[in-house]
Amino acid sequence: MKKFLSILLKLVGKLIVIGFITFVATFALYMFNGENKLIYYVVRPLLNKHYDAQVRDRRIV
Amino acid sequence: MKITDKLISAIDKKLERFDPKWQAEHGVGGLRSRYYDKTGVAKWREWRGVKDTFYDYTQWLYNLYSMVLMVGSAPVACLKGFWEYRWMGSYLGTFMFIDRLFEGFRGYELRVAHMNMHAIVQSLTKKIALVLANDKRLGGGPLSDNMVPMDEVLPPLFMTGFKDLIPIPLQTLPEFIICDIDQHIEPYYIDVAESFGLPADVCSRCSAETGVAIDDAFPIIGKAFLTTNMPCNASEATSMFQRRRLGLPDMPVTMAMIHNEPGAHPYSTQVLRDAIAFIEKEYGVKYDWDALFERAKHMNEQNTIELEKWDIFKTPHSALCGIAETLYRLYSWASVNGQEDYFTENDRKVIKIMRKAYEERYVPFNGKTRHRAFLWGPSAVYYTDFPTWAQNCWGINIVLNMDSTMGHNMIDTEDPEKAIEDLALFSEKGVMRHHAVGGWENVNALWEWAKNFDCDMVIFNDNVACKGMNGVHALMEEQARDLGFHFIFLEHDLEDARTVSRRDMRKIVNNYMTVVLNEEPLDPTLVDFDDSLAF
Repeated sequence: MKKFLSILLKLVGKLIVIGFITFVATFALYMFNGENKLIYYVVRPLLNKHYDAQVRDRRIV
Repeated sequence: MKITDKLISAIDKKLERFDPKWQAEHGVGGLRSRYYDKTGVAKWREWRGVKDTFYDYTQWLYNLYSMVLMVGSAPVACLKGFWEYRWMGSYLGTFMFIDRLFEGFRGYELRVAHMNMHAIVQSLTKKIALVLANDKRLGGGPLSDNMVPMDEVLPPLFMTGFKDLIPIPLQTLPEFIICDIDQHIEPYYIDVAESFGLPADVCSRCSAETGVAIDDAFPIIGKAFLTTNMPCNASEATSMFQRRRLGLPDMPVTMAMIHNEPGAHPYSTQVLRDAIAFIEKEYGVKYDWDALFERAKHMNEQNTIELEKWDIFKTPHSALCGIAETLYRLYSWASVNGQEDYFTENDRKVIKIMRKAYEERYVPFNGKTRHRAFLWGPSAVYYTDFPTWAQNCWGINIVLNMDSTMGHNMIDTEDPEKAIEDLALFSEKGVMRHHAVGGWENVNALWEWAKNFDCDMVIFNDNVACKGMNGVHALMEEQARDLGFHFIFLEHDLEDARTVSRRDMRKIVNNYMTVVLNEEPLDPTLVDFDDSLAF
């Protein structure tokens, strides 16, 4: 029983630490607008290069 | 006061100098101070106090979760979609879009705004995954031939009688809603259309749809296509261009335009019957009235709640206002139209909060509202956050938008004959049909609406390429003067931000507020700024 409780406590402790680290990481990403900066300055310019290089089948009919 | 409230209050006091609204009040900054020039990229997110910032953060996570689910549900199709379609790349601007929409929102207005927004995000992400996973261009899927592409301005409720078919408003994903998110996407498709000789002075929405068709950028789904007659020649032209390019059997569902005359309803009712017969023939399925009644009950409940919302809008105590109201009603009516339970459930939750806020005599935006405005005419799709800017900069609360007044009649849920008549009336009062081009009486209904909602101001959207509305400009100005409304004619080019930019639109309002009303802005950092490179 004691062993079980100690494993359980360790597990809960680990979950709390992981949860806290996840919170700090995601909150920092949120607060510093990280994902939008990445999308605006890196991802979209790369995608636009690809779209501009596409050969589209442009016709009316 | 609970100890946690005391603690939060102490932290809020300590950090209040980071709140842009506090900065504007104290002359040390404002809502625009945290942006890089031109790009619309914020250096950091808005500090709204502990509770509201944390709430905004949880909703950011919630929306992120929906997007992860979207990619997770069809990873290959989504990646192929991003690679194939230019418009898919624009959806990456969604987070920036949501931030723009709810800038300066606090308390109850922030809560209901996010509830409405998440309803849209969860619905839209599922729809994108569904369409891409069954797009024949990307390999197709088991539901490719169960989908019915239809014009996005045709309310899809009547299609729910085909319980095994999935109506998809075809233009919504590549053209309409994406223009809300990214102001630079539609000019690309407009240029494609114009490079084929389409005149540059037609409605940019129709031009953009044509460009998507010519550029071969519509997903390929379904076995037959329901088009419609929209209110102008440009729209009819784009329907023709789309049917030529898609090459599917099609039926134009031509609803009556001048529908106030009693003779119009039997005609529109017959057109709906013909559309049902067309789908039965093309898809080899039978119409099920009970399936329709099931969804019509949801639409009726949503419309009943909507009418209660309107009663609260008439007071200064509505937690739901501005773009949080407009965008939700537009999407939930025109695109969802009773098909998704989530929206009924969301409406039930939102109205509860609205009732509570009303009972507490809650005043949104800290009581900074100076004018109550009715927004009339189709709005600039590339400047969706205009109502938010108007509130934050000048204290103009957009109480209701013309598009929100779409079909709110109840649909009979027992008698098929009565139901189809109700559906015809409901469809005649669809997006842009009723008040924009449904005849003079419906256009001129503006003043009655503005009076009923206790508005002192009317902002009249002036789509510069809309031939239908060009003639009413002076008539409206005269009436506003006679009836004593503050009146702003707001020029825009619907989906082409190059003709009349967001900054130009702001200038029109700024001029009226300073020259005519002699007022000072609530937040000077918002008066004039360059966001030409922003999504």
